[in-house]
Amino acid sequence: MHKLIERLIARIPLPFRVLLNQFLLRVVDLEALSIEADVPRFLGQFAGVLIMISCMRAIGALFFPPPPDMEWNLELSALSNMLLVVGLIGVITWDATFPDRRDVMALGHLPVKSRTILLAKLTASGALVGLAITTLNFASGFAWALVFGAGSLLQSLHFLAAFWFTIVAASTFLFAAVLAFQGFAALLLSRRKVLQVSAVAQLLAFALFMSVYFLEPSLGLRGQLVDPANRALLTWSPVYWFLGLLNQLNGSLPRELTWLAVRAWIGLAVALASAAAALLLCYLRTMKKTVEEPDLVPGAGGLHWTPGFGNSLRSAVLNFSVRSLIRSRQHRVLFAFYWSIAMAIALSCVRTELSGEAPGAMTVDYLTSTFMIMTIAVFGLRNVCALPISLNANWVLRVTQLRPTIAYLAATRGVFLLLGAAPALTLSVLLALRYRPWEQVGAHLALLALLGWTFVEIAMIGFEKVPFTCSYLPGKANVQVVFWGAVFVLALLSVTVALYEHRVLSNGWSVAGMLVALAAASAVLWGTNRHRAKSALLYFEEPIPEIITTLGLSIGMRCETSKPNSQSAER
Amino acid sequence: MLELRRVSKHYASIPAVDDVSFCARPGEVTGYLGPNGSGKSTTMKMITGLIEMTAGHIHFKGKPIQEDLIAYKRRLGYVPEEPNLYNHLSAVEYLTMVAQLRDLPARRSSQRIDGLLRLFALHGDRHASISGYSKGMRQKVLLAAALLHNPDLILLDEPFSGLDVASALVLRSLIQELAARGKVVLFSSHELDTVERVCSRVVILHRGKIVADDSIERLRALMELPTLEAIFSQLAVEQDTAAMAREIADLIDA
Repeated sequence: MHKLIERLIARIPLPFRVLLNQFLLRVVDLEALSIEADVPRFLGQFAGVLIMISCMRAIGALFFPPPPDMEWNLELSALSNMLLVVGLIGVITWDATFPDRRDVMALGHLPVKSRTILLAKLTASGALVGLAITTLNFASGFAWALVFGAGSLLQSLHFLAAFWFTIVAASTFLFAAVLAFQGFAALLLSRRKVLQVSAVAQLLAFALFMSVYFLEPSLGLRGQLVDPANRALLTWSPVYWFLGLLNQLNGSLPRELTWLAVRAWIGLAVALASAAAALLLCYLRTMKKTVEEPDLVPGAGGLHWTPGFGNSLRSAVLNFSVRSLIRSRQHRVLFAFYWSIAMAIALSCVRTELSGEAPGAMTVDYLTSTFMIMTIAVFGLRNVCALPISLNANWVLRVTQLRPTIAYLAATRGVFLLLGAAPALTLSVLLALRYRPWEQVGAHLALLALLGWTFVEIAMIGFEKVPFTCSYLPGKANVQVVFWGAVFVLALLSVTVALYEHRVLSNGWSVAGMLVALAAASAVLWGTNRHRAKSALLYFEEPIPEIITTLGLSIGMRCETSKPNSQSAER
Repeated sequence: MLELRRVSKHYASIPAVDDVSFCARPGEVTGYLGPNGSGKSTTMKMITGLIEMTAGHIHFKGKPIQEDLIAYKRRLGYVPEEPNLYNHLSAVEYLTMVAQLRDLPARRSSQRIDGLLRLFALHGDRHASISGYSKGMRQKVLLAAALLHNPDLILLDEPFSGLDVASALVLRSLIQELAARGKVVLFSSHELDTVERVCSRVVILHRGKIVADDSIERLRALMELPTLEAIFSQLAVEQDTAAMAREIADLIDA
C-alpha cells in the first residue's frame, strides 16, 4: 500500500508537488499570522476545534435525538455552520489562490507553467476547505444519518450520501463565489486599485458572513418555509437553497419548495463557472501585468493628517496604533472579528427593542448587551495590540526611548481608552437613544464609562509594552484560551451587574453607590498600575521559556532537557 | 569623544566582540571595518544601547553612557545595517513619529522633515507607503531619521547600501561635512574605496578583535602597502580569493 501511494505520488509532476508543498504552508494569508507563525500547527488547532464541534453535535444527536419536525432545523444549522466556516476560510485565504507579485518574481523566470502554479494554488486552497468540511461533519454527519435513518440502513445511507453531497456543494458554491469576486476585481481594476480595494473587500466579506450567520432568521419548520411572507428571504439566502437541495436529494422536499433546490443548482453552476473563468483569465493575463505595474502607490491626493493627542509621545503611539490597526490586514481582520461578535451580540439583544416605535424603559437585554460590547471591545483590542506589526523595525523605539516606561504605558492606556472603550461607549449612546427616562439612561452610560475604565486598567495588567510592537510567540494557544475564559467570566459578570442595575436603576442612592464603587475600583486599579509602571521596563519580546538541552555527547549518556537555573541567569 | 574601553560581547561563551578599545574623535570620521561576522554591527548595537555589553565600558564626552542613557540617546543618530522600517507608514509619517518620540518641537521638526525629504529626493513619494520603497529610498529614510535631531554622535552601519551613484556622492560629502562641523562620526562599510576617501582613521576588526587602529596614512607607511584594500586583505582576509573564485567556477562547470 505504502509503495503504491509512493508510486502514485511519483506520477505527479515534480514542479506541481514542490509548489503544492510551498502553497500549502502559505495558504493562510501570511499577513494574517504572526511573523514566525507555525502554519501546520495553526491548521492542526483549527482542525481540532472543528472536530470537537462535530463530536459534540454527534453526541447531542445520539443521546438526545431531535423530534421529527426539528430535522430541517438541524440540517439548516449544519449548513449555516458550514457556510460560516467556509466563508471565514475564504477571508483568511484572501488573495492566496491568485498570483501575487512574489510568485511572479520568484517563479516567473523559472521553467514553470502558469497552469502548474494555478493548479497547485487551487489544490492548496481546496485542501483547506476539504479539511474543514471533513472535520466539521465527519462525526455529526454519521450520527444524523443514524438518527434520521429511522433504523433503516438504506435510509441512513441515502441520507448520508445526500448530506455529504450537499455539504460539499454548498462549500464549493461559497468558496467559488469568493474566488470569482476576487478574480473579477483583479481583472477589472488596475493592480494599484486592487491593492487598495482588496483589503476593504476582505473586511466587508468578513462582516457579511458574520452578520448573516448571527442575524439571519432561522426558518427551520416547513410551515415557515412555505409561508409567502418569507419568500423574499429564501430567494436571496443560499443556506435555504442548499437546504432545499439536501431535501430534494433526500426525497423529502415538498413540490412547492422545489424552486429552492433549482436555485442551489443554478447558484453552484454560476459560481463554479465564474471562478474558473476568473482564475484562468487571472493566470493568463494578470501575471504579466503584475510585473509591469509598480508596487509604489503614490499617496498624493489622500488625507494626510497626523492629529495630536496631548504630548508628543502619546501622539506618536496613538497615531502609530491607529495606522497599524487600519493598514495591517492581520490586525484589521482580528479587530473586525471581535467587533463583529460584539455587534452581533448587541444587535441580537436589542433587535426587538429597536423595532418598537416609541422609546421605552431600559431592559436587561440592553444593559447586558452594552456591558458585553464594552468587554469584547476592550479585551479584543488588547489581544489585537499584542500582535506585533514588524519586530525588525522596533529598534527605532529602543533607540529613541527618551522617556520613562510610565510615560509609554500612559500612552498605551490612551490607546485602549480611545480605540477600545470610547467606540463601545459611543455605540451604547446611539443604542440608548431608544430608551427613557433620560436620567436612567445617563446613569447607565456613566456606569458604563466607569466600567470601560476599569476594563482598561485590567487590560493594562502585564501589558508593559507599546501596542503592536511586542513579539507574539506562534502557536500560543493558551493565550486564546485565557482570553476567551476571561471574556466568558466578564460576560457573566456583565449579566450579573446588568440584572442588579436593572433592579436598582430607579433608586438614585443605589445608582450613586454603584457609581462610587466602580469609580473606586477603577482608581485603585489605576493607582496600582501606575505604581507598577514606575519600576517596570518596557519590553519588546515575550520572554521565551528557556530550556537548556544537554547534548550528552559522551558514550553512555542520554540527551537531557531541563529547566534553566543558574546557567540561564548567566546568559 | 566616543571611547570604548575593553568592550566584549559573548553569546553563550562565544566571543562576538573581544576586548575592543578605541576612540572616535569629534571632527574626524572613524572607519570601522571588518569581514562579515567580525563583530562590527554587534559593536554598533552596543554603542547604541540596543544590546548590553558582557564586559567593558563605553564613554561619550567623558561619561559612561549608562550613567544617563536617556541624555546620551538624545545626542545619538543611528543608521542600522538593515533598512528595517515600519512598512505600513509613509516616509513622512515615519519621520514624524521619530520626531515625536524624540520630543522635538512640532513646527521645527515638520520643517526639517520637509527639507530632508526634498534634499533626499523623497518628497514626491513622501506619502507613499514605505512597503513600496526601493532599498535606496529606505536607506534615505533611515538617514533622515538619524539626522533629524542634529545629533552629536552619528553611527553609520553600511549607510551606502542600495544608494545610487548620485546619492552616494552626496552622502560621502555629507559625512565629511558633519565631521567638519564637530560631530563624532563612526562609519562602518565594506566599500573600502569610499572608506579611504572619507575616513581619517580606521579601526579594523577581525574575529571580534582589533587588528589595526590608526590613520590610513600611517597604516600605509607602516605596512608598506599602497591601498586600504591591500592593508585590509593582509589583516582580515584569510583565504586566497583568486583560488576560491576558481573553485566556484570549477564547481558549476563540472
